[in-house]
Amino acid sequence: MDRFAYILRRLVQAIPVLFGVTLIVFFMIHLVPGDPARTMLGVHATPKRVAALHREWGLDRSVPEQYWIYLKRVLHGNLGTSLFYRVSTASLITGRLPVTLWLIAYGTLLSIVIALPLATLAATRKDRPADQAVRAVPLVGLGFPPFWLGIMLLLAFGLHLGRLFPVGGYGNGFVGHLHSMFLPALTVALGISPLLIRSLRASLLQVLESDYVTTARSKGLSERRVLARHALRNAVVSTVAVLGVNIAFLIGATVVIEQVFALPGIGQLMLNSIFQRDFPVVQGVTLVFGIMVVLVYLATDVLHSLLDPRVRFD
Amino acid sequence: MKVTAPVVLLVMCLVALAAGCGGSGGGSSGGSGGSAGTPQHGGNITIGWSAEPQSMDKENVFDNQSIWVLEQIMEPLYTVSPDGKSVKPWLAKSVTLSPSKTTYTFHLRPGVEFSNGKKMTSADVKFSIEQTKATGSQGWGYLDSAIKDIKTPDPETVVIDTKYKWAPFMADIALFANGIVPNHYGGETAKEFYTHPVGTGPFMWGHWTHGQELVLKRNPHYWQKGKPYLDQITFLTVTDTNTRQLQLQGGQEQIDQFPDWQTVNTLKSTPGITMSLFNSTRTDYTMMNERYAPLADVHVRRAISYAIDRNAIIKSVLFGHGQPANSFMPPQVPFYDPKSPGLQYNLAQAKAEMAKSKFPNGFPVQMLVGAGVADEKSIAQIYQQELAKIGIKVTLKPVDPSVEFSDEQEFKYQLGLSYWTMDIADPDELVTFAVVPSAGAKSFYTDYNNPDVVNWTHTAEKTFSASGRQDLYSKIQAQAAQDAFMVFMYYSPYRYAYTNKLHGFFVYPTGNFHMEDVWLSH
Repeated sequence: MDRFAYILRRLVQAIPVLFGVTLIVFFMIHLVPGDPARTMLGVHATPKRVAALHREWGLDRSVPEQYWIYLKRVLHGNLGTSLFYRVSTASLITGRLPVTLWLIAYGTLLSIVIALPLATLAATRKDRPADQAVRAVPLVGLGFPPFWLGIMLLLAFGLHLGRLFPVGGYGNGFVGHLHSMFLPALTVALGISPLLIRSLRASLLQVLESDYVTTARSKGLSERRVLARHALRNAVVSTVAVLGVNIAFLIGATVVIEQVFALPGIGQLMLNSIFQRDFPVVQGVTLVFGIMVVLVYLATDVLHSLLDPRVRFD
Repeated sequence: MKVTAPVVLLVMCLVALAAGCGGSGGGSSGGSGGSAGTPQHGGNITIGWSAEPQSMDKENVFDNQSIWVLEQIMEPLYTVSPDGKSVKPWLAKSVTLSPSKTTYTFHLRPGVEFSNGKKMTSADVKFSIEQTKATGSQGWGYLDSAIKDIKTPDPETVVIDTKYKWAPFMADIALFANGIVPNHYGGETAKEFYTHPVGTGPFMWGHWTHGQELVLKRNPHYWQKGKPYLDQITFLTVTDTNTRQLQLQGGQEQIDQFPDWQTVNTLKSTPGITMSLFNSTRTDYTMMNERYAPLADVHVRRAISYAIDRNAIIKSVLFGHGQPANSFMPPQVPFYDPKSPGLQYNLAQAKAEMAKSKFPNGFPVQMLVGAGVADEKSIAQIYQQELAKIGIKVTLKPVDPSVEFSDEQEFKYQLGLSYWTMDIADPDELVTFAVVPSAGAKSFYTDYNNPDVVNWTHTAEKTFSASGRQDLYSKIQAQAAQDAFMVFMYYSPYRYAYTNKLHGFFVYPTGNFHMEDVWLSH
């Protein structure tokens, strides 16, 4: 099977997965106690006002009927109107999606920038102090919850050490985003990189003991060339899979990080919409999260096959 | 490989810092100069807004985060005075009341223009108030239900007839919902208009990126000459209290709305920051559902009221920044009675009341608590400890905060926590909600019903003399206290932290603020 047909088949397979996501999320959010009309009206929620809003939003219909209407809308590319913001859910999501994508991409990039040299350092100095330090210290990042780590980074680099970075926010323009998103991306990276370091170190150690590496060395290639040309390329294959799984988890973790750093992404939108019982937005964001996870797994598999010719599209 | 971890981190920091050097700067624009104390023009400020506004539709929106923004754009004929106890002329320069007390003649302030440069006339006023009234019980129209008709004899005069004598009328007219907008919404539908509303206020519409920021710009046509001082206000939604505080300290915002109570004292001693506690109309209560048999017994309710140590709650939840409530009305409301005999902590009296009740040996009771709401949990734990001393066994029922209020409204609770803040400078709205069982709120969802109190409430609505209304509202407060229909817990202030470069920022007891008076020193 060629690559294009494989990607197409995977995308078609994703349709029932996404259908399942809409079904589960729709019924779960309707099963959770809480009424968006009462949440919105607060102390002014009289039965008349609540009933009027229910009528306006279609919440006076049965849940299966509501799901059927929702599904028909989705199939026409319409995610409905936010109950809280009173604008289209699609416009809310498209306005905020770039923030979340920035966070994920920047965080992933930083995690690679951290993991690659450290794993190489550890693998080439096996069981020496540098190796022990690289194996132990990054675990600290893994042990701390992201919200705590984020606040500590904000305090250190946003306030007390010369205000090097802004305290939250998305910034303006490419350069502004790069500056403003550094601390949240670093929080993401510190969470992922320990796993990448361990995975890459283990793979490197295995590869460095392979016959072809011994052959390369016996040809008189420098250690740096052996590492760059032969060892890393092969060792990184398994780490790509680890990275892919972590990015998929990270999509969910953005909810917390966006809250701490006041980033207006879809994670924060999701959290606020759950509290407000804004059904169309919760459903819309979950669908987008589902699509993102499917695409990340697909991209991981394609990348895996490109890096390792033994992996076939099947 | 020679690259080490510190080197990698250093490179990353340098890259990001270099990026920051080329980034766009925030902060204030240039001002006209001048010494501290003399208002200076110019500057942009960012307010860390604790929750997202819902809508700018003044006729139908109920959340304060929206109301306090839209009040900067649309203004009413009269407005609340700084002490929250009366109203003062605003877009109208005066009003005369007919001897029958059913006809109000408003004389509009000359020279008032909308932010689009068009002159405000009586036709705009008639349209605006009629639109609000038309929302009826779905929106704020219920507060205008006394209005019979509105006439416009000339462009600068508005005559409003009421169906009956209605003492709270001027307070109702001063409500934000009766703010003035262009006739027929300037040719748009209401839905279109409220996506970019136009008014006579000090600021005009900029833009709104939902979930991120709402920006208002200086209205060059504002009727108070020389005001506003600021060029732009950004309401930045930052729901996390820690982040809001750090952004204030980091200079990214100039006002932090509602910092945590536990940080108030720290912020007071933080250089460069002013921490202000403004008198508010917020009153916190414990609701007692009289449909649960033990709580229908007045002696049980009185015993509970006596058994609760308000100071312990204030210390635990507000870190001392509040005062015990002696009435269901707050001190910043007209006709509040400081001598109202609200029951206070007295364990001996509590035991005596329990002995007089039908449940002298106590009973079990469930208390509704918002899951994850730390303040409510603290209060509930104090209730558990205090009520155990008089034989009442309290079990906590944690529910999602979004469900808590609906459970209370549907009487699916026994003890519950609630609060109130005033919308108008008159006690009628609060008193009707609190003690009239036939009103929409069924006596704050307690089912409390004292016909005398209900009768005094309706009489007060038609009484125009201040002394007459004071007598009636004092009687209502005293009787409600004796009946102990709720536990009046505490009064708490509004808390705002802001840079000490900001001047003229003052929060009214109704929670609103006049940003036209605010300026930045440069």
